[in-house]
Amino acid sequence: MSVKYIPVQWNPNKWLYDAALIVGVGLFLWVFLYVTPETLSHDFPINPQIHNARAFGACAFVMLTVILCIGPLARIHPRFLPLLYNRRHFGVLTSFVALTHAGYILGWYFAFSPSDRIEGLLSANTSYAQIAGFPFEIFGVVALLILLVLAATSHDFWLKFLTPPVWKRLHLAVYVAYAAVVAHVAWGILLDQQNHLVTVIFIACAALVAGLHLWAALLDRGVSVPDDAAWLPVGDATEIADGRARITLLPDGNRVAVFRQGQALSAIANACAHQNGPLGEGRVIDCLVTCPWHGFQYDVTNGRSPAPFTEKVPTYNLRLDGPRVLVDPKANPPGTPVEPLSIAHLLEATP
Amino acid sequence: MDVAAAIIFGTEIWMGIGALVAVVFLIWGIDQIDEDAQGAYVFRPLLIPGILLIWPLVLWRWSVLTQGRDAEQTRYRPNRRIHGRIALAMPVVLGLVIVVGLSARQQWPGDIAPVQLADP
Repeated sequence: MSVKYIPVQWNPNKWLYDAALIVGVGLFLWVFLYVTPETLSHDFPINPQIHNARAFGACAFVMLTVILCIGPLARIHPRFLPLLYNRRHFGVLTSFVALTHAGYILGWYFAFSPSDRIEGLLSANTSYAQIAGFPFEIFGVVALLILLVLAATSHDFWLKFLTPPVWKRLHLAVYVAYAAVVAHVAWGILLDQQNHLVTVIFIACAALVAGLHLWAALLDRGVSVPDDAAWLPVGDATEIADGRARITLLPDGNRVAVFRQGQALSAIANACAHQNGPLGEGRVIDCLVTCPWHGFQYDVTNGRSPAPFTEKVPTYNLRLDGPRVLVDPKANPPGTPVEPLSIAHLLEATP
Repeated sequence: MDVAAAIIFGTEIWMGIGALVAVVFLIWGIDQIDEDAQGAYVFRPLLIPGILLIWPLVLWRWSVLTQGRDAEQTRYRPNRRIHGRIALAMPVVLGLVIVVGLSARQQWPGDIAPVQLADP
């Protein structure tokens, strides 16, 4: 959360997450380099420099695949939310692994001539007008540049400075990076494969990413509301579990989270001010809801983070129509206090 | 100057401007637009790579915040519809890339016997 910026906001969960990441990367490289060189097959003899380049390249591809699977998995089932918690560190580590791959490539294929290595990379193959033999290196350069931009803008400062929507749009470039990596592999190493195991693994990874995104999108399908609704029905007040929320889609595309704490209801925007995480999936304890993505907290009665933190989200007005809860789709300015709506009489009447 | 050299020269210019923006922004500008950065210095070097790469975006946001034109409400409007478009685009783009890439394989002339062009 905010107050004063520090380089990295560590906590025990992040230590654990990062330790698992580093062990995973080490394990992948060890398996690739020492356990399965015959299985993975390099059809032509290669030297250690190329072997290392391929190991780091394959590792970066797998890491990027996992990163892109985490988002839809978390939308499909909350049990995957812990994977989302520290995904930025996952992305930064992926950038370093990809950069190491590029370093090995430049340090071998372009290291033994007087010309500049980058210049050699850009001018070695310029057959941009043909599909067969298209310079696959440029796909890798594009992907690496995008990954570096994403890693370089991963600090919390950038989120606040650019605003979450702009930051999110910028980081959606990860999908362009993944498509570029897929092209880099399809036009590159796969052309050298006689053993098709790598090809099968590669296509399975890409299919997994595409399939999970389709699945998550299908779950969101069919949720719609009238464009000109005044007060929107949220549902039966007594059906909202204590400490939990019901999330409702508004005509403008935003979502509102209506929380019940004891015998009262309060409504705030569902999007966390940090990374627009789903506040409505968090639990309320002592008026504070904790964002399941990164642990940011808000008072559900006024949309403000507890002091000394300064984040604010919009609040919404509620009223009852018999047992039904209605929400005003017009948001109050972020941090506006709203008197909780009592539903004590409804709860007492409920057997 | 060939294209590769021109790209490298352009990159150096881009980075040079980014370095200037980074110096001014991190020493002076950041304190004016973000109260959480005031008195916090250790994290600032971490911002340098980002400023080098996206300095036009930095200048735009710096200008918006300095002039008080930031729309507070838009901070809480995630662009959720984009997920649906991405979900549809991913299978098409990835499938196309893989099919075209693999079908355009160059055939290595492995069945041609080597010919000695000259005595060693």
